Amino acid sequence: MDFRRVSLIALPYAWLLLLFLVPFGIVLKISLSDYALSIPPYTPTLDITGGWPAIRDFLGQLDVENYVFLTEDDLYWKAYLSSLRIALISTFVTLLIGYPLAYAMAKAPREWQPTLLMLVILPFWTSFLIRVYAWIGILSSQGYLNQTLAFLGLEPVTVLNTNVAVYIGIVYTYLPFMVLPIYATLEKMEGDLIEAAQDLGCTPTEAFWRVTLPLSRPGIIAGCFLVFIPAVGEFVIPSLLGGSETLMIGKVLWEEFFNNRDWPVASAVAVVLLLILVIPIVLFQKNQEKEQE
Amino acid sequence: MNQPSSPQTPAQPAGPGPATAFHPWDDPEAVPLIRFQGVTKRFGDFTAIDDIDLDIYPREFFALLGPSGCGKTTLMRMLAGFESPSLGAITLEGRDIVRVPPHKRAVNMMFQSYALFPHLTVEQNIAFGLKRSGMEKDAIEARVAEMLRMVQLQKFATRKPHQISGGQRQRVALARALAKAPKLLLLDEPLGALDKKLRQQTQFELVDIQEKTGTTFVIVTHDQEEAMTVASRIAVMNEGRIAQVDTPGRIYESPASVYVADFVGDVNLIEGNARPIGQGMAEIHWREGVPAIRGQAAEPLAEGDRATLAIRPEKITVSRERPEGRNNVVQGRVHDIAYLGNISTYHVLLPDGVIVQALVANSRRIARRDFTWEDEVWLSWSDTAGVVLTR
Amino acid sequence: MTLKTSLVALAAGLAATAAAAQEQVRVYNWSDYIDEELLTEFEEETGYDLIYDVFDSNELLETKLLAGGSGYDVVVPTGTFLQRQISAGAFQPLDYDKLPNAENLWDVIRDRTEKYDPGHEYSINYMWGTTGLGVNVDEVRAILGEDAPIDSLALILDPANMEKLAECGVHFLDAPTELIPAALTYLGEEGDSQDPEVIAKAEPVLTAVRPYVTKFHSSEYINALANGDICVAIGWSGDVLQARDRAAEADNGITIEYHIPKEGALMWFDQMAIPADAPNPEGAHAFLNFIMDAENMAQASNYVYYANGNEASQQFLNEDVIGDTAIYPDEETLENTYTTSPWPPRVQRDVTRMWTRIKSGT
Repeated sequence: MDFRRVSLIALPYAWLLLLFLVPFGIVLKISLSDYALSIPPYTPTLDITGGWPAIRDFLGQLDVENYVFLTEDDLYWKAYLSSLRIALISTFVTLLIGYPLAYAMAKAPREWQPTLLMLVILPFWTSFLIRVYAWIGILSSQGYLNQTLAFLGLEPVTVLNTNVAVYIGIVYTYLPFMVLPIYATLEKMEGDLIEAAQDLGCTPTEAFWRVTLPLSRPGIIAGCFLVFIPAVGEFVIPSLLGGSETLMIGKVLWEEFFNNRDWPVASAVAVVLLLILVIPIVLFQKNQEKEQE
Repeated sequence: MNQPSSPQTPAQPAGPGPATAFHPWDDPEAVPLIRFQGVTKRFGDFTAIDDIDLDIYPREFFALLGPSGCGKTTLMRMLAGFESPSLGAITLEGRDIVRVPPHKRAVNMMFQSYALFPHLTVEQNIAFGLKRSGMEKDAIEARVAEMLRMVQLQKFATRKPHQISGGQRQRVALARALAKAPKLLLLDEPLGALDKKLRQQTQFELVDIQEKTGTTFVIVTHDQEEAMTVASRIAVMNEGRIAQVDTPGRIYESPASVYVADFVGDVNLIEGNARPIGQGMAEIHWREGVPAIRGQAAEPLAEGDRATLAIRPEKITVSRERPEGRNNVVQGRVHDIAYLGNISTYHVLLPDGVIVQALVANSRRIARRDFTWEDEVWLSWSDTAGVVLTR
Repeated sequence: MTLKTSLVALAAGLAATAAAAQEQVRVYNWSDYIDEELLTEFEEETGYDLIYDVFDSNELLETKLLAGGSGYDVVVPTGTFLQRQISAGAFQPLDYDKLPNAENLWDVIRDRTEKYDPGHEYSINYMWGTTGLGVNVDEVRAILGEDAPIDSLALILDPANMEKLAECGVHFLDAPTELIPAALTYLGEEGDSQDPEVIAKAEPVLTAVRPYVTKFHSSEYINALANGDICVAIGWSGDVLQARDRAAEADNGITIEYHIPKEGALMWFDQMAIPADAPNPEGAHAFLNFIMDAENMAQASNYVYYANGNEASQQFLNEDVIGDTAIYPDEETLENTYTTSPWPPRVQRDVTRMWTRIKSGT
């Protein structure tokens, strides 16, 4: 292997090291420390100038106490489960809305597609926060939704500050992340395949289920990951749109960090969240590779 | 409707064979499998198919030949059900199929891209259509095995399409299209993606399979050699119309128009004023002061009609002396020689600037050939070798 | 431009930035908490370049301070937070020689902030206020009758009242540091109790009214009150007064009043302090001294409707500030207020946990 190739391969790994492993190492280290009233608010801190004895002493003070603590209070696993459930439902709803959108885009006349693509990306030109605030205006008790319902002579509904508002916020915010990868797989799929399926006896609906859907699987999977992963740790949407009963791990993490000022426990919560997300993804990736064989 | 039956063994071998006469198109009693009646297809302002009438008979290997954009693919897609005609009727076994959707037609198609399902294995691809027809599991397995055997891909049954070669993919596509034993198999440029050697070999395999299964094949191609090799009849198409429908031999030997003569094979075209001389013959006065040349008239003509004599290069004899006893004799100078190994093409410049090509078999070694550049030579051919065309 | 000249330009630019940094004062204050004209006046008077940033939660400020290297010269934490931050070593002692205007400070407030910063070694008071009830009087009287307890914690802590008020909407501050002392006061306990067993008594009180709380949020109630989306909120004095003024401006027929609960009200203090690692302590002192000027401080209070800890400024205060008992409570009311101290870490954790349990049922 020549130098060029080595450096090409090394680049993404260096990136991974710099932007993932190093920060993760720091968080992991804090999660093994103890709370202290100091700057920074945990102990021990590593002083490399002290040489080996200092490092050994430092390592000796680390423990997994904070992780044990997470298992002792049912708040944490309930928050993890609740976040996973909210993320799963949101991802599923996003898929239900995003797939037909992506499908319609891929089937639209060629010359329209850049415009449609633009329209999907357009919301990103406005601040995420402003878009979430707009939903407050729509969903609030005196908001546009209830005004419309009143105009139609219907009963007002309470949506803001409930989990339904959180689902709406997540689905709305992450929809482009679902649409774009699915569109990409559908767009490059040959039209011949659908015709071949029909030619071999499939109705258009059957052709969709037997050919289009299985072939767009990579896009569906990519889209689901892109929605699910950030949705699990979502903090802003539940805190702005959700109610007090909306229990999500992002909020718990915020409280540990800001209200309890307990950086070590907050870090432990973050590390566990990462493991919850990373392990299934790695297993899935392994499975995919096997299937590719 | 598209119930697969076991492949029929034809009562008599189909296709062009010397021993048997297979020409239902000459039999007024014969019932066509497919009939196009006054079919026109427009896409907006563009007329892709312009008022076509065409009959295709059972067990034919029928070729639609023409340059790209001539309408041959549209014609085929109308058979598959992916397009419907703007005007006219298409019948299959006497039933109008214009409104029958693709999945209900006893017609299968082999796509130019093969359109193999990338997420399915070879055997799953072949079984795809059988499963849709609600066939028993055992019967499907037997049929898939039979198809794999036919295309000699038993060993590759569990591979995915991207794990086999282009030639193997082509055979999977053929097996998949034939698995349901359709009444009609459509082949869209089936060999276009293969290299030349594999293509020639596969052409014979196609004919072989067509004869064994007795299925009616309609092939779309722009390659006239391919059409000549495989087809029982060829429809030469031009700008949405059929220029001529005939057996390969007659297409070649008796083209109905300058377009067909020129599209199929090489041809020399000499234009002039025609004069009928009886017995279906006509002569062409093509230049002042030289004797007229003659050939078989493609259709009746009147004296003074503008006409073109089409003569194939291989039917022209080249000689140094003026040949005796021949009516078609012209003189010229060797302008160019294309040496192709087994044969050479002589480009002979006539005094009026027309270049005529003549093929000469290289029966002698190159150093001893008779003519070379700038030699004055005589070209001659028999009375019946050329065709006089008015279209 | 050649590489060399661009490098020279870059170096010159960096040098200029460094020089400017010397003259900059960076202040980190609560949002909507000053008359911005004062910022310009400070720059004109002292020649410093003022960088003014805002925050909206003590937690955010504390996280920046404890992480170190915040880059600010002046910060404004609330007393309870200040006390803990002092023990963490987050601030540098004030040099009173550079603060001649400190003589303007008000003893009443000095005495009450003594518990957070003994001897005022690290901080001076900026503004202070109370936590009380924001009430849409017409609406509440329509629901609870003319004798509605609009000046009592019973309004929001008695389930019988809350059940009825739920239909017009009630917001609670999303702050256990405010609601738990309130619940304890309502029970007749000491609001500032540090005893876990006493604190635990707050939970059933809050849980009982929880189903009728529209939202726990620490700032949305200003607009919600003014728009009529809710009819009651427990909130900070200045915020409720803002809601009152907004409703009056909108002329939407909504009248908001601020009431200090008769059971006792929590009194809080926002203190100005200088971080230990402030880049420009000299400028920071200049800013503190500028703010403690009687006229400047009055200008700030007249603008934001919060009381300040500056006695000398009181002669310059507008009548609608100094004369409003919602801002400057009378002697009797002042007697009835209490202050709180930070909970120790273990208690803090229990309280956070309790708060989550109250809000989400988990």
